[in-house]
Amino acid sequence: MYDPENFQRMAKGFSLDQAVAESERCLLCHDAPCSKACPADTDPGTFIRKLRLKNVTGAIRTIKENNILGGACGVLCPADRLCEKECCATEISRPVEIAKIQRFLVEHSWERNIKVLEASESNGKKVAVVGSGPAGLSCAAELAKQGCQATIFEARPEAGGVIRYGVPSYRYDVDFLEHELQEIKELGVEFRCNAPLREAGQVEELLENGYDAVFLATGLWAASRLHPEVSNVDGLMTSVEYLASLRDEQFEALRNKIKGSTIAVIGGGSVAIDCAEAAVKLGAEDVYLVYRRSFVQMPAEEVERIEALETGVHFLLLNQPVDFVINHQQKIEGLRLVRTRLEKAKGTGRRIPKAIAGSEWVLDADIVVEAIGNQAESGSPSWYPNVDVDQNGLIQADAATLTTSVEGIFAGGDIVRGPALVVDAVNDGKVAAMAIIEYLSKKEA
Amino acid sequence: MAGKKVDLSVDFCGVKFQNPFLLSSSPVSNSAEMVAKAFEAGWSGVAFKTLNSDRVRIVHPSPRMNPYHYGSKRLVGLQNVEQISDRSLKDNLLDFLYLKENYPDKIIISSIMGFSNEEWAYLAKASEDNGADMLELNFSCPHMTIEGSGHKVGQANHLIEKFTETVKKAVSIPVLAKMTPNITDMTEPALYAKQGGADGIAAINTVRGLSQVGLDDWTVRPKVAGIGAISGTSGPAVKPIGLRFIADLAKCERLGLPLSGQGGIETWIDALEYILLGSSTIQVTTGIIHYGYRIVEDMIEGLSDYMVERDIERVVDLVGKALPTLQDTDKFDLESQGVASYDLDRCVGCGQCLTVCNDSAGQALEWDPLLRRPTLIEDKCLSCMVCSFVCPVSGLISYKQQPSDWQRRETAVMGEQLEAELKLAAFK
Ligand SMILES: Cc1cc2nc3c(=O)[nH]c(=O)nc-3n(C[C@H](O)[C@H](O)[C@H](O)COP(=O)(O)OP(=O)(O)OC[C@H]3O[C@@H](n4cnc5c(N)ncnc54)[C@H](O)[C@@H]3O)c2cc1C
Ligand SMILES: Cc1cc2nc3c(=O)[nH]c(=O)nc-3n(C[C@H](O)[C@H](O)[C@H](O)COP(=O)(O)O)c2cc1C
Ligand code: SF4
Ligand code: SF4
Ligand code: SF4
Repeated sequence: MYDPENFQRMAKGFSLDQAVAESERCLLCHDAPCSKACPADTDPGTFIRKLRLKNVTGAIRTIKENNILGGACGVLCPADRLCEKECCATEISRPVEIAKIQRFLVEHSWERNIKVLEASESNGKKVAVVGSGPAGLSCAAELAKQGCQATIFEARPEAGGVIRYGVPSYRYDVDFLEHELQEIKELGVEFRCNAPLREAGQVEELLENGYDAVFLATGLWAASRLHPEVSNVDGLMTSVEYLASLRDEQFEALRNKIKGSTIAVIGGGSVAIDCAEAAVKLGAEDVYLVYRRSFVQMPAEEVERIEALETGVHFLLLNQPVDFVINHQQKIEGLRLVRTRLEKAKGTGRRIPKAIAGSEWVLDADIVVEAIGNQAESGSPSWYPNVDVDQNGLIQADAATLTTSVEGIFAGGDIVRGPALVVDAVNDGKVAAMAIIEYLSKKEA
Repeated sequence: MAGKKVDLSVDFCGVKFQNPFLLSSSPVSNSAEMVAKAFEAGWSGVAFKTLNSDRVRIVHPSPRMNPYHYGSKRLVGLQNVEQISDRSLKDNLLDFLYLKENYPDKIIISSIMGFSNEEWAYLAKASEDNGADMLELNFSCPHMTIEGSGHKVGQANHLIEKFTETVKKAVSIPVLAKMTPNITDMTEPALYAKQGGADGIAAINTVRGLSQVGLDDWTVRPKVAGIGAISGTSGPAVKPIGLRFIADLAKCERLGLPLSGQGGIETWIDALEYILLGSSTIQVTTGIIHYGYRIVEDMIEGLSDYMVERDIERVVDLVGKALPTLQDTDKFDLESQGVASYDLDRCVGCGQCLTVCNDSAGQALEWDPLLRRPTLIEDKCLSCMVCSFVCPVSGLISYKQQPSDWQRRETAVMGEQLEAELKLAAFK
């Protein structure tokens, strides 16, 4: 049942005692493999050693200097397939819970008011960052640390991107985000919210309007659709609309709709899991996760899948959505499904689901959420007409420097990679900031 | 093996104990209410909290202890400024009577501390008259400030002899002298105690130390109304010191007295080490402060299983068994050399061996960064074994004896090119 405390707030992290005890299991590895496995070079091998040697402030410094969203990563990283996967302690007992230690240290810094970051003296350079998701935040923070004036343009009313308007609060709450944003503001980063740059060519014009460089990190905010032509149906939502509503002023209305209803979520990824689990927590009567393949083929992380099952989500596997059942008042009534069977794998490929003829049936549902993928907004290439994009609208950027085809414009995060992780976006922000600094110093010379 | 019986009982100074495990004189042996629980748990006897004669009122400082933690490991050491018993002599003796009546097979050792001949004699007699089976003369409390008491006595040999003699004249039950480790050579005062007639020696009392300095107030702990003091440290951190003094006493042929070992004992292994170095009984405080009386169950069970496994029937047959091979370092055979040996099948690839070998030893390891495995260059290995101390996999790195013709490589000299600049004449 809905419990505002549990829905709006994340569960508590480690206490000091738990973090210290966990750090004692660390083997203080030479050339720490966990550090090499972190996509953002957060360097757990070092921050855990520092905690172990009672250098707590130093441990916090290591995290925040390397990863301005160290808290978000500690909470949201699928660490069991990143840093913790490589942990040498696995063969002694089990991996060190690196992400939890990381989250603890970040929260500890807030609790004890330990400040480790300082803005440096201004170098007079101005950089525009488009999008305030993890990539934009990371880039702006890094630029500010290097003395640049970074200004973030954000289309939405508040900063954060997916970690504000996507990930549900019970996984990452707004207090936590505000703490992380506060530190970025203290570095001198300027935030301009409600400031979309979506007019034709508007992004490129920044270079003519006083900005020395631009970092594009607009993410993926268009949802893939089963039948794009179906619109304005009451009860039919995309994951993007649905999750954003859970985190803005529409929350109460949506909650009332979900309470006691039957929800069908289409998709097998992490986003689908978030949508389904949130519905259970909000008091839905039944929540179905509809996926055309098998349990093990779901792209969602294993822990997420198991947690969703335990929360009470019904997994409707090997069922492929065909159509929506919509009544004449333009309200959704159900989802037409066809059962599938997995074909024999060809070579090393995935087994393909094939519809079973004549097995169609209708799943009654009051709300259907489509969570089958996020993509670039269809009009986005027009915002930066000279920047090369691929057929899906993803920006093409050099892997090492994140430079685009337009001099002075850099890009990173999901809009370059496609759906990825917070920690990847953080790294892109850092890499781009370093490339921007180098670009600006070369331009000067 | 099941069902096989071992005999844990010991005869110590003519007194029969059901097993070698005793409470030492401290808060864990403060009253009969507590000691009764300890007896129920399996302890064979108690050195009761040191009695006083009511001549001066005893008040314990508040707070009176401070822990020495190591990371999240609690209480590897304990520091205390507790005084001797703050109860009246009468209350303590009534408790003796109660214990004797209800636990006739358990042994009461009355720990006493006096300030004059008369007071020592008075406390000794009162103890004997009210059921004490033995006495323990506390010459060793490390935070008594009055000359002629506590460890100050333990450092004044003639007082030890005099007070022991006085007590021996006053009673007929056996008498132990409890010694302070805050001294270089414990055999000397122990011999004076023997001269005075002591039947056995108990050691060690706490080691004078400081467990913690407050970083905000620059005051050592425990902080008693703004003041800290050097005082007694106990627990696992002092076990090496305790073992050393017990071994010294046991090795001293002129002494030849039975010993009651203590200092950092928590497990049957700690107890057995004290026994193997010459203790017939062992005493515990900090282990109980940390875990409670229940630890005796594991001491009894652990020691019994060890004896069954090795076919040793009587615990007394273990007393002093490690003494013959305990020699001075000049007896070492320096021809015998070895190297570390790595069983890499079990290696988890942490590289701690590499770090310590590079930074504190022979530079004898090479590291494969892809496989994450060390390779030992045998002739550079110093056999110091520090790698094995840090390796998280027990027994992965072991010591391997080398043949007598084996040669270790000399330590690299970095300044060979600088010979011309060397200023050195041969020592004559
Ligand atoms: C529901 C969900 C759950 C997820 N869970 C996890 C997780 O548990 N762990 C994990 O590591 N990753 C997770 N991810 C992925 C992760 O959130 C993303 O990879 C990450 O947020 C990408 O960051 P970004 O900065 O590239 O883009 P975003 O976070 O998408 O931020 C882009 C920002 O740009 C703004 N913007 C867009 N267009 C414009 C414009 N024209 N002008 C101005 N501003 C604009 C948007 O409003 C947004 O604020 C999840 C993703 C989703 C959708
Ligand atoms: C293996 C080893 C060798 C030592 N050799 C010496 C020595 O040659 N000269 C010396 O003055 N102290 C020597 N010491 C003592 C140390 O300098 C130091 O005083 C002692 O170990 C206590 O400090 P610690 O607890 O930090 O180790 C040695 C200690 C160790 C562990
Ligand atoms: S790999 Fe594991 S054990 Fe090694 S340093 Fe990292 S956290 Fe510690
Ligand atoms: S940022 Fe994520 S992947 Fe990197 S060390 Fe921290 S928890 Fe692990
Ligand atoms: S310390 Fe032990 S486990 Fe670690 S690399 Fe060396 S041999 Fe392997």
